[in-house]
Amino acid sequence: MSLNTRRKLLPWLFIGPGLLWLLLFFLYPLLNQASVSLMTGNPEQGYDLTWAFHNYWDAISEYKEQFGRSILYAGVSTLLCLIIGFPLAYFTAFHAGRWKSFILLLIILPFFMSYVLRTVAWQLILSDDGTVVSFFRTIGLLGDDGRLLASRTAVIAGITYNFLPFMALPLYVALEKIDPRLLEAATDLYASRTTAFRKVTVPLALPGIFAGSLLTFIPACGDFINAALLGTPQQYMIGNVIQSKFLNILDYPQAAALSFTLMLFILVGIFLYARLLGTRNLTEAAI
Amino acid sequence: MAEQTRRKFLGRGGSLALAYALAGCGIEGTLERAQKAATPIPEITHKKVPIGNWTFSNWPLYIDKDILKEFDEQYGGHVKYLEDINDNDEFYGKVRQQLTAEQPIGRDIVTLTDFMAVKWVRNRYVQPLDKKNIPNVVKNLVDNLKSVPYDKKRDYTVPWQSGAVGIGYNPKKTGRELNSFNDLFDPAFKGRVTMLNEAYDSSGVTMLAQGVDPTTAKIDQILAAIEKIQQAADSGQFRRFTGNDYSTDLAKGNIWVAHAYSGDIVQLQSDNPDLKFIYPDEGAMLFTDNMMIPAKAEHVYAAETMMNFVYEPEVAAKLAIYVNYLSPCKGIKEIVEKTDPDIANNPLIFPSDEIRKKLHPYPALSDADERTMKEAMAKVTGA
Amino acid sequence: MSAVTEVTPPAPAEETAPPSGGSARTRDRLRHGGLALWSVLALLYLFIPVFIVVLFSFNDNQGRFNFTWQGFTFRHWADPFADPDLAKALTNSVEIALISTAIATALGTFMAMALVRYRFRGRSTVDFFVFMPLSSPEVVLGAALLAMFLTLNINTGFVTVVIAHVMFTVSYVVVTVKARLEGMDRHIEEAAMDLGATEWTTFRKVTLPMIAPGVAAAAMLAAAISFDDYVITSFNAGQTQTFPLFIFGATRQGVPAEVNVLATMLLLGVLLLMAGNVLIQKSLARRDTMRAD
Repeated sequence: MSLNTRRKLLPWLFIGPGLLWLLLFFLYPLLNQASVSLMTGNPEQGYDLTWAFHNYWDAISEYKEQFGRSILYAGVSTLLCLIIGFPLAYFTAFHAGRWKSFILLLIILPFFMSYVLRTVAWQLILSDDGTVVSFFRTIGLLGDDGRLLASRTAVIAGITYNFLPFMALPLYVALEKIDPRLLEAATDLYASRTTAFRKVTVPLALPGIFAGSLLTFIPACGDFINAALLGTPQQYMIGNVIQSKFLNILDYPQAAALSFTLMLFILVGIFLYARLLGTRNLTEAAI
Repeated sequence: MAEQTRRKFLGRGGSLALAYALAGCGIEGTLERAQKAATPIPEITHKKVPIGNWTFSNWPLYIDKDILKEFDEQYGGHVKYLEDINDNDEFYGKVRQQLTAEQPIGRDIVTLTDFMAVKWVRNRYVQPLDKKNIPNVVKNLVDNLKSVPYDKKRDYTVPWQSGAVGIGYNPKKTGRELNSFNDLFDPAFKGRVTMLNEAYDSSGVTMLAQGVDPTTAKIDQILAAIEKIQQAADSGQFRRFTGNDYSTDLAKGNIWVAHAYSGDIVQLQSDNPDLKFIYPDEGAMLFTDNMMIPAKAEHVYAAETMMNFVYEPEVAAKLAIYVNYLSPCKGIKEIVEKTDPDIANNPLIFPSDEIRKKLHPYPALSDADERTMKEAMAKVTGA
Repeated sequence: MSAVTEVTPPAPAEETAPPSGGSARTRDRLRHGGLALWSVLALLYLFIPVFIVVLFSFNDNQGRFNFTWQGFTFRHWADPFADPDLAKALTNSVEIALISTAIATALGTFMAMALVRYRFRGRSTVDFFVFMPLSSPEVVLGAALLAMFLTLNINTGFVTVVIAHVMFTVSYVVVTVKARLEGMDRHIEEAAMDLGATEWTTFRKVTLPMIAPGVAAAAMLAAAISFDDYVITSFNAGQTQTFPLFIFGATRQGVPAEVNVLATMLLLGVLLLMAGNVLIQKSLARRDTMRAD
């Protein structure tokens, strides 16, 4: 074998096994899912591919509310994560001093306790006879028979909680990279702190905001644990529908149609978002 | 140049081949099996063999685990007891593939509710029992369960426990006594009510509230009931639709009124003594969970020995004392009376004949009707 | 508030309207204080549930529920593995995490190396392809895999869970290792090759030790994600029970306090591991500086 061919083959040798895995268990399932979404039938007679494009129309019109909710809740949660996470990341990057790695550790640490279990803990914290609810009632934010659990607030709070670290960490990474001298230079040049923040810090933190938002929004959109444990059917998101259609009702075609639609929506969303923020290289920004 | 043609080929040819591959596939159904299975049952003889290591799947908190220990001691071998059935449909979804492919599902007994048992018997996912190995069942099974429409002679199924679907509530919170399924729809309890997500149960009690007999109901009556549930759900009446997971919320005080299973409430009373369970005036839904041996199960004799064991009145009494549901085994009230008179006199566990008459079994629906009902209910529960 | 009395140096004009009495320093302090307070609150938000979970592992609960504080006990800590189902679920999770991490780390590390080290046709496509699973909601990944297993008539269970976990952790590995590789000095490897080492020897003796921390971090990330995954697993587990699936199932009957114990133990384990890692890094750094001297 000539050196040249070897050179050409070598990277594929390295990439091959991993790529094959992704082709077999990521790409193929997606294409297959597209085909399942066009099937008709029932669990008794089995399902056959009949190119039933109406599955999409049926599924979307039937579950547009859950779709809308997924996008709304994920969007609000992402925004809340940004509002909570940005000052946290900013403080950690610029003012934490020797506490820096300790704070980072604290941000990561909840990851190592089961996601489901922490969400169950929220059930307990927000329960109707709990302290949080009675506090909110005392200060008048909740009516006497108002509740937090099994409400939209609880679901959004839960999602925000669960994905906050995904926002805070990329924000920190981006802010950390900013040379403080740049900010000094800006203020030296008679920019107010606000202007310096707006014109220097935020643009430089943009990759972090971009990455953090994606890392929060995408999983939040497909999440169903928070809605299942902290919400009621009026808060169910598209993930709940996909899950129950696949596992309980065994309506595979509609489930696949919903899942495929969600995937397409997210891909288009990412693309538009990247365009909007002017981030050219998707991959690098998200990483 | 070469690179380009190759890519083109991969692009077109590849996707074409893929399309073929995909078009060739479908997802197998179960109907063929059911038709194939509609043959008379031959004489069944299961040889007595050592018990060995075998597996029993049941619902959580549905047995006094001492019974398992005693069984192991008395008959040898070891029973692996799985509490992995939380929902009939979910469990079916988990094992459906193996069942259709005629593979073992790794369990020797499964315990499923009537409407799911119908499906398993009809499709012959289960195997017939050797009655010679279960003399206790033949002798002690209560008369009203000796024959069910889907298994006329109990050739495939043995009742585990029965129970009633009624109302569990906390009188301190509701501020009044409840006595009707219409109370589930009382706007005064808005957001403090849970309803069972199982379509048979929820449509059943709603029909009772509407004055319709659920056992003989037709699909349009069922759909009308579901429509009523839908309207209440849209107005925020129901906090959640649940399996038996309403218990946490009820015990915690998050909900006041639950569409609930009788045995659950009896158990919950130890956590929260305020709770009450009632059979409403209209009656209540009666369900039976049935032990069945899956078609390809290996330890048939072990499974039958266990079925027989739990129909020994002493064992059945012990079970009733622990699980607090309705026992399908005759003559245990007397035994329970000796040790636990409270339980023996509890109408939830040993209902009077008058109450028993008000308990309605589930309707027998065709696959298509059942699907229509489930889909309608799924829309209500938001999933 | 001593700053108020101090004579402020002629600081650069702040806002358009220059502040009168209040100095920039006071405002800086307020800003810092506000930021610090906000951060503490945010961290509290992150930790309240963790705290609750730990606390209730010591709850002397009487009935089957564990949600009202009924007194302190070590009872649940005495034998957290008492429930065989829970023990089995935990072992399954550990086994799945170990196996899928091993596979994903191996596959991902090689991919990352090729992506960073070689310029080749299709590189950006591969790059994008690796990025795709990261940008898909888990529910889609889980559902798509299940649909495939259904059409191909493959029974779901332990193996399919491992397949799924490798699929979605491999991208995380690639990303993490890539980050490490990109910061590395190529010249050391070139030097090794110039000195006559074969590519394989160079890889073993030079590259691997250098990227080892990145690979270790990637493996840890993969293991953590795999261990805690509920969504994808719920689709592809069939009858296999894992720790997160067990907890979710248990929410219906009341989660036993032993679950809290195990979760707390895991958290402590991770903390110890991290502390150990920090200590090792420190002693390594000290040794290096000593050698350099």
